[in-house]
Amino acid sequence: MTYLDLDIKEINNLLKEKKIKPIDLVNEAFEKIEKSNLNCFITLNKEEAIKQAKELENVEVDNLLFGLPIAVKDNILTKNLRTTAASHILDDFIPIYDATVVSKIKDKHMIIIGKTNMDEFAMGSTGETSYFGNTLNPHNNIKIPGGSSSGSAACVSFLITPFALGTDTGGSIRQPSSFCGIVGLKPTYGTVSRYGIIAFASSLDQVGPMTKNVYENALLLSAIAGCDKNDLTSKDINVDYMSLIGKDINGIKIAIPNYYMSDAIDNEVKDKVKEVVEMLKNKGAIVDYIDINYLKYAIPLYQVIALGEASSNLARYDGVKYGLSCDAKNIDELYRKTRTEGFGNEVKRRIMIGSYILSGKNAQEYYYKALKVRKAMTDSFKEVFDKYDLIIGPTNTSVAYDLGTKQDDALKSFYDDLLTIPVNMAGLPAMSLPIGFNKDNLPIGMHIIGNYFKEDKIYWLASFIEKNLNLDMTPKGVK
Amino acid sequence: MKPTIGIEVHVELKSMAKVFSMSKNNFNDEANTNINVIDMGYPGTLPRLNKGIIDMALKAALAFNCKINQTMHFDRKNYFYPDLPKGYQITQQDTPIGYDGYVEIMDGEKKKIYLERIHIEEDTCKSMHTTETLLNYNRAGVPLIEIVTKPCMHSSSEAVKYLEKLRETLLYLGVSDVKIEEGSMRCDVNVSVSDSDKLGTKCEVKNIGSISNVGLAIDYEIKRQTEELNSGNVIKEQTRRFDDKTNTTVLMRYKETGNDYRYFPEPDLPYVYISDEWLQEVKDNMPILTDELKEKYINLGINNNNIKTIIANKDICNFLESVIDKCNPVIASNLLTGDILSYLNKNIVKINDTKLNKENFIKLVDLLDKNTISSKQAKEIITTILETDKDVLDIVKENNFEQISDDNYIKEVIVKIVSENPESVVDFKDGKDRAVKFLMGQVMKETKGKVNPALANTMLNDYLKSLL
Repeated sequence: MTYLDLDIKEINNLLKEKKIKPIDLVNEAFEKIEKSNLNCFITLNKEEAIKQAKELENVEVDNLLFGLPIAVKDNILTKNLRTTAASHILDDFIPIYDATVVSKIKDKHMIIIGKTNMDEFAMGSTGETSYFGNTLNPHNNIKIPGGSSSGSAACVSFLITPFALGTDTGGSIRQPSSFCGIVGLKPTYGTVSRYGIIAFASSLDQVGPMTKNVYENALLLSAIAGCDKNDLTSKDINVDYMSLIGKDINGIKIAIPNYYMSDAIDNEVKDKVKEVVEMLKNKGAIVDYIDINYLKYAIPLYQVIALGEASSNLARYDGVKYGLSCDAKNIDELYRKTRTEGFGNEVKRRIMIGSYILSGKNAQEYYYKALKVRKAMTDSFKEVFDKYDLIIGPTNTSVAYDLGTKQDDALKSFYDDLLTIPVNMAGLPAMSLPIGFNKDNLPIGMHIIGNYFKEDKIYWLASFIEKNLNLDMTPKGVK
Repeated sequence: MKPTIGIEVHVELKSMAKVFSMSKNNFNDEANTNINVIDMGYPGTLPRLNKGIIDMALKAALAFNCKINQTMHFDRKNYFYPDLPKGYQITQQDTPIGYDGYVEIMDGEKKKIYLERIHIEEDTCKSMHTTETLLNYNRAGVPLIEIVTKPCMHSSSEAVKYLEKLRETLLYLGVSDVKIEEGSMRCDVNVSVSDSDKLGTKCEVKNIGSISNVGLAIDYEIKRQTEELNSGNVIKEQTRRFDDKTNTTVLMRYKETGNDYRYFPEPDLPYVYISDEWLQEVKDNMPILTDELKEKYINLGINNNNIKTIIANKDICNFLESVIDKCNPVIASNLLTGDILSYLNKNIVKINDTKLNKENFIKLVDLLDKNTISSKQAKEIITTILETDKDVLDIVKENNFEQISDDNYIKEVIVKIVSENPESVVDFKDGKDRAVKFLMGQVMKETKGKVNPALANTMLNDYLKSLL
C-alpha cells in the first residue's frame, strides 16, 4: 500500500486519526526516489525532512497540506538547503533565507523532500541544459520530460510527491506538465511572490503549482498566492480558487485561437483537443474559433525581452560575493574565468544575445520595439476576454520527443514554447491539463488560458474535463 | 576662446533607510554592518522602494524649479565592477523625477543656471584598495540624487556660486548633509573651450574635494585647453582628476566611443505615479529656503553681515526662526551672531548641545529691548544660560543687574556730578568729546553701573547743552 497514491483528503483523514504519521509519507517518498532512477533531484533533504516529520507528530493537523511531501524546483531559495539553479556557478550555494513561497509552504507544515532538477537557470525546454544531467520522462525513459521544471514534473508524474513547485517564464511549468501528464498552472503575473526565485526574466517569471489533479493544484495555489511586501510586482488579490471546482459548465464561453490549431501542431494532439471540445459542446459550452493578433511574434518577442532581462539578471554571478569564484590575478580575469567555467553553453548563448539586444542603438531597434508589440499582443488578449471566459488549445505543438533531438539546434527548442510564451507576455494565467495519450502512450496536454486573476475559472473548466475524462495518467508500472 | 562648463553633482540623501532596502542608511557605522541580502545582490532578492526618498527628491526638484515626471520608472544601468553588487545600478534614465529646472545665483548680477535633470539612483559599495581590494557594503543602496546642469556656465566664478547655492539649498531642505569632504556631495565637472558657437570637446574632471577646488580645476582646464588649441592641438574626450597639491588636473583615461550601459526599464519595480495630491503635500511641507529667508531678514531690519552669518549657520538660523515672532528680531540676531556664536565657536559646540532654551533667550532679548539691562550685563547672562538651566530673571535679580531708568534719580546724579567737575563743563564748551565720556564714567561709577547708559547719555548731553 502506498499512501501517496491516495487522494489527499484521505491522507489527511489518516493523519488526523493518527493511523499514519508524516514520517511514513516521507519514508515512502524517499523509497520512491530510490526506485525511480529518473534524476529528478539535484539535492535531497532527507535528514532535515525526517527530523521535520518527527517534529510534526506533536503538532495538530491543521490543514489539508499538513505533513505532505513537496518537491521544490532548484531555482527557488531554501534556507540552509543547497540551491543551484542547475548551474556549476552556484553548485555550492547554500542560501541564508527562504523564498517567500518556501516560507508559505513551511507555514502549512509541508515537508520539502528535495530540490528538483531543471534546465540551467530555467533556460531550456528539455531538461538537458542542467549541469547535473538530464531528467528522464517517467512515461518513456528515452523521451525528454520537458523543461525547464523537468524534475518537478517527473517527480509528481512518478507519484514521488503529490506536490511540486515549478517556475514558468515561457512555458516551463506547462510544457513539462504536458509531457509528463500532470496538472501544471502558471498563475497570473503578480499572484505569487518572486522573492527568493533566482531570476531569469523578471517581467515573465512566475512560480506555480504542479500536481496530479486539479483540486490539489488549486489547494497548493491557495497556499502560495498572495501579496508580498518584498515583491513590489506582487498583487493583493483575494480569489477563492476552489469556489468553482465541480460546478456545471453549461453556458461557459470558450475561444479557440486558430493559431493554436494550425498546421504547425501535431495531428494527434489536435485530434485529442477536438475530442474534448466536442464533449464540452455537448455539455453546453459555447465554443468559437477566433483570431488573436500578434501571436506569431511570440518567439522573437521572447528572445528579445527574456534574454535582454536575463543578461542583466545573471550579471551578479561574478565570483565576488557567492558561488563559484576562480583563481585570478585581477578582476577582469576573475570575471572571465568564473563565468566561462561556471555557465553552460545555452546560458552563455542567451547572455550574449541579450547583451547584444540591449547594446547601443539595438535597444531602441529591438527591446523597446518588443515592448510595444508586447503591449499590442496583451491588448488583443484583453479583447478576447471581453467576450469569453476562457481560451483553450493544445499546450504544446507535440508530445515529448527523444532526448538529444534538439541539442545541436539552439533555435529549435524555442519553438517548443510557441503556444505557451504568449501567455507569459500578456501576464495571464494558464494551465496544462492532461487529456489523454497518443498512440505511443505519451501524454497530451490541453492549454486553458484565463483572464487576469481568474484562475478560479480555469479550475472550473479543468475540474469538469478531468471528471468527465476520468483518466489514469500514471506512467506504466508505477502503481 | 569661450569656455563652457556643465556640472554633475551626486548628493547622498539623509534618509533613515536605504533606497531599495530597509537597511540603515549610515555609511559611517562599522564596515558591512548596515547590510542585508538586497544590498548584497543576493540571488532571488528584489528591490523595495522607500517612499520617503521620493519625497526628498521631489523637494529638491521643486526647490530647483524643475518640471516633475509624475509618471516615472526606474532603469537598470548595466556594467561590471566589483563595487556594483548586482552587476547593474538601479537609476532613472528615461523619466528623471525632475527636469528643465534652474538655480538662481548672484554673480555680480542675478543669473539662472539651467538644470537638465535630477534623478534618483542607488550608490555603489565603497572599495578600499590596500594590498588587496576590500568592499564596504554599508554604502551599497544608499540613496543618491544626481543633479545635472546644461552646459550653460562660462566661468569658474559662476560654477562656484552655483555649487554654493546648490549646497546651501539642499542643506536647508534638510535632505542631505552635503559634505564634500565626506563624500555626501560629489562634483564632476565638464569643461570645454571653443572659439566658435559650436561647443568644443569636453574634458571631465572627477571627484573634486571642495567647492573652491572646483573653481581651481575649471580655471586650470580653461587655461590648459586654450593653450592646447592655440598650439594647434586637438582635444580628445577624456576623464581627468584634480591634484590638490599642484592645483592642476591630471589625465586618468581617454573616453572610448559609445560607453554602453545597456539601459532598460527595471522590471522588478512598478511605475511610480506621483498624484497631484502627493505633489501638493510635498509642496505644502517645503521649508523656507534661503532666498526667502534673506528677504524676510532684510525687511525685519537685520543687517547684511548678520544675515550672511545666520544663513551660513543653519542651526543658528533654525534657532532664530523659532523665536523670531516672539521678540525683537534685530536684538535676537545681534545676540546670536555675536556673543552666542563666538561662544559656540570657541567651545566647538552646536547651539542644540548647549543649555540654551527659547524662553530664556526671549526673556533676555526683551530685557535688552526695554533697556532693563545693559549689553555688558547681557554678555554675562549669556554665558550662564548657555551653561546652566538658570532663569534669566533669577540671574538678573541675584546679580542686581536691573538698570535704573528713573529720570528724576538720573537727573539728580547728573547735576551732582557736573557740579563737582566744572573743568569738564569748560572742556565741553570747547568742543572736547572726551568731556562727555569722562562725565558718563563718573555717573556710572556713582551708580555702580546700574543706570540705563543710553538714557543717562542722552540726559547728560541735554543737560550740558542747557548750560551753554
